[in-house]
Amino acid sequence: MSNAIDQTRRMLSLVTYLRERPGARVGDVARAFGITERELVGDLNVLPMCGTSFRGGDLLDIDTDGERIWWHNPDDVAQPLRLASDEAISLLVAARAVAGLPGLRERDRTALTRAVAKLEAAAGDAAEGSARVGVTFEAEGSVFADVDRALTERRRLWIQYYSSGRGEMTEREVDPIRLVSEGHTYLEGWCRLSEDRRMFRLDRVADIRVLDVPSDPPPLELRDLSDGLVRPAADDPQVVLEVGPAGRWVTEYYSHEESLELPGGGLRITLRTPDPAGLVRLALRLGADGRILAPAALAEQARATAAAALALYDDDRYGGERAEAGV
Amino acid sequence: MPIAKSERLMNLALCLMNTRRPLSKRELRDSIEAYQEAAESGTEDSFNRMFERDKDDLRELGLVIDVEENPLDGESGYLARRDRNRLPEISLDAEEAAALSLAAGVWRQARLAGAASGALHKLRAAGVLLDGAAEAPTALEPRIPARETAFEPLLAAARDRRPVTFGYRKSGASAAEPRTVEPWALECWHGHWYLAGWDRDRKDVRVFRLSRITDRVKVRGGAFTADVPDHVDVRQHVARFAGEGATSTARIRLRRGAAFPLRTKALRVDAVDADWDELEVPYGHGLAADLSEFGAAVRVIAPAELRSDVIARLSAVAGNVQPADPRTATIEGAAL
Repeated sequence: MSNAIDQTRRMLSLVTYLRERPGARVGDVARAFGITERELVGDLNVLPMCGTSFRGGDLLDIDTDGERIWWHNPDDVAQPLRLASDEAISLLVAARAVAGLPGLRERDRTALTRAVAKLEAAAGDAAEGSARVGVTFEAEGSVFADVDRALTERRRLWIQYYSSGRGEMTEREVDPIRLVSEGHTYLEGWCRLSEDRRMFRLDRVADIRVLDVPSDPPPLELRDLSDGLVRPAADDPQVVLEVGPAGRWVTEYYSHEESLELPGGGLRITLRTPDPAGLVRLALRLGADGRILAPAALAEQARATAAAALALYDDDRYGGERAEAGV
Repeated sequence: MPIAKSERLMNLALCLMNTRRPLSKRELRDSIEAYQEAAESGTEDSFNRMFERDKDDLRELGLVIDVEENPLDGESGYLARRDRNRLPEISLDAEEAAALSLAAGVWRQARLAGAASGALHKLRAAGVLLDGAAEAPTALEPRIPARETAFEPLLAAARDRRPVTFGYRKSGASAAEPRTVEPWALECWHGHWYLAGWDRDRKDVRVFRLSRITDRVKVRGGAFTADVPDHVDVRQHVARFAGEGATSTARIRLRRGAAFPLRTKALRVDAVDADWDELEVPYGHGLAADLSEFGAAVRVIAPAELRSDVIARLSAVAGNVQPADPRTATIEGAAL
């Protein structure tokens, strides 16, 4: 996919690149620019229409036989160009964020810090403003190193994991696939307990061991995570919630199918989840700011759980401070 | 078929970079086919608008375009001087290059992802990054999302120091209100974006969560009126709302083995009996909601106001409705 701006941005670099490499191979150039050969050929169709004056015939004489690319009249207009401010900002912000990533190997961190300094110097004015944007990744503590090692050495992991959906601690063996950081850091792995692909949030791993067993996940396509890391399946049970204005944050944390505005600023939210029991805890968290509408059994479960929790305070109803003395 | 925009932009860039004297708008129109087409099929006005937009687009792409008077005829014209547009000398070793390539891939936002790979392309074209697949320095895949539509305009406005207006729905508010803000800094925390800036109506610093901006961000004319501090700590402000800046502690009892997320926050854990532990946890904003979530696995001991807050929340769910205390409403960041 390339819009006009991205394509122009790329073509400006492409001419500089091609000038230095007469007869460059289509496949190599596409790889260097991270685009498909088809996209590259698209660029190569545009470039011969470009030049300093179409009337004077001063066009770029660039052509390809489908395998190699030739530029017959290279000129020195194709000098390396300074970085644009959005280019400098995006790269610097990303580099600083990654340098601050907990668990990054020390050598990579120092390399990145050096690169940032050089890039700032080369970007000059264009780097201005990059200090106004910051990204913080969560510190996930000590388990990161073990996961990283298991991935490098291709070994299976044993983890004690707090399942947020079920609200309980579980033990399982996992064949690690990759580590993904987006806000929190997640391990994607093949769970030997559920025989399925799972995302594990590292801050919910209570204990971890790298096993002396080779990791052996079934052959898997890496999933596209662009719509969010945790996505419910179409056949997961459907739940309907209603929240007041103070419960609107639910839509920012739960991927949902639909949210309808209600009079007074509330929302009716429809979502799917593999673990409806996790929504009982959401209902408890919401308190007066929301409730489960459907399924009725889940709403009843929330009510019963709240009633059981309230029973712990029965003493309070008769004489508050007595509760201080003991359970 | 009209000539593609990328071809038109490329032609304008090449003309401006290849000239040693300023080129007038008329000269550029006569040299670039797409402009001729536009001038012939449309009005002079539509050509002018197209030309202005194209110059802006090229400037966004990093081209420094100077406006100068042509010494021969006194007409003003445009040129992109080579010395002002050349990438300064920079060299990266293999480790630095690999690390930078990893960093360039983190954006999950189209515009910034395009800009970051554009930066890499420039470095690659200049021979600063060598060809060949760089080995990923780590198995980790860091990602920076920015799904909020307000992100792009706010980033540009903060960079260019332009005031903005937008509709904003405060946490817990039933409707959005218009806000006029001088945007200072953006921060991504726990995967969500926040803006810190000077709120002109409230005459004070405010932090906004981008997902709560309800309509299009509009850029206003004029300059900033408040001084921009050298360092804006967005994170500290947000963290306070998330309960991280707790100033006191609470005592709670927790069933053994339950509510792991609460245990990780504990400052102190003592066994009470076979089933229960007593924990000391930081008492900050949002703790009542955090505790209520774990139902009968948690019992609040002290302070009394926290206990009654939790009881009120549970009562609401159990159906024993109590009048809600406005101070205990779930507000910003409670779910962080």
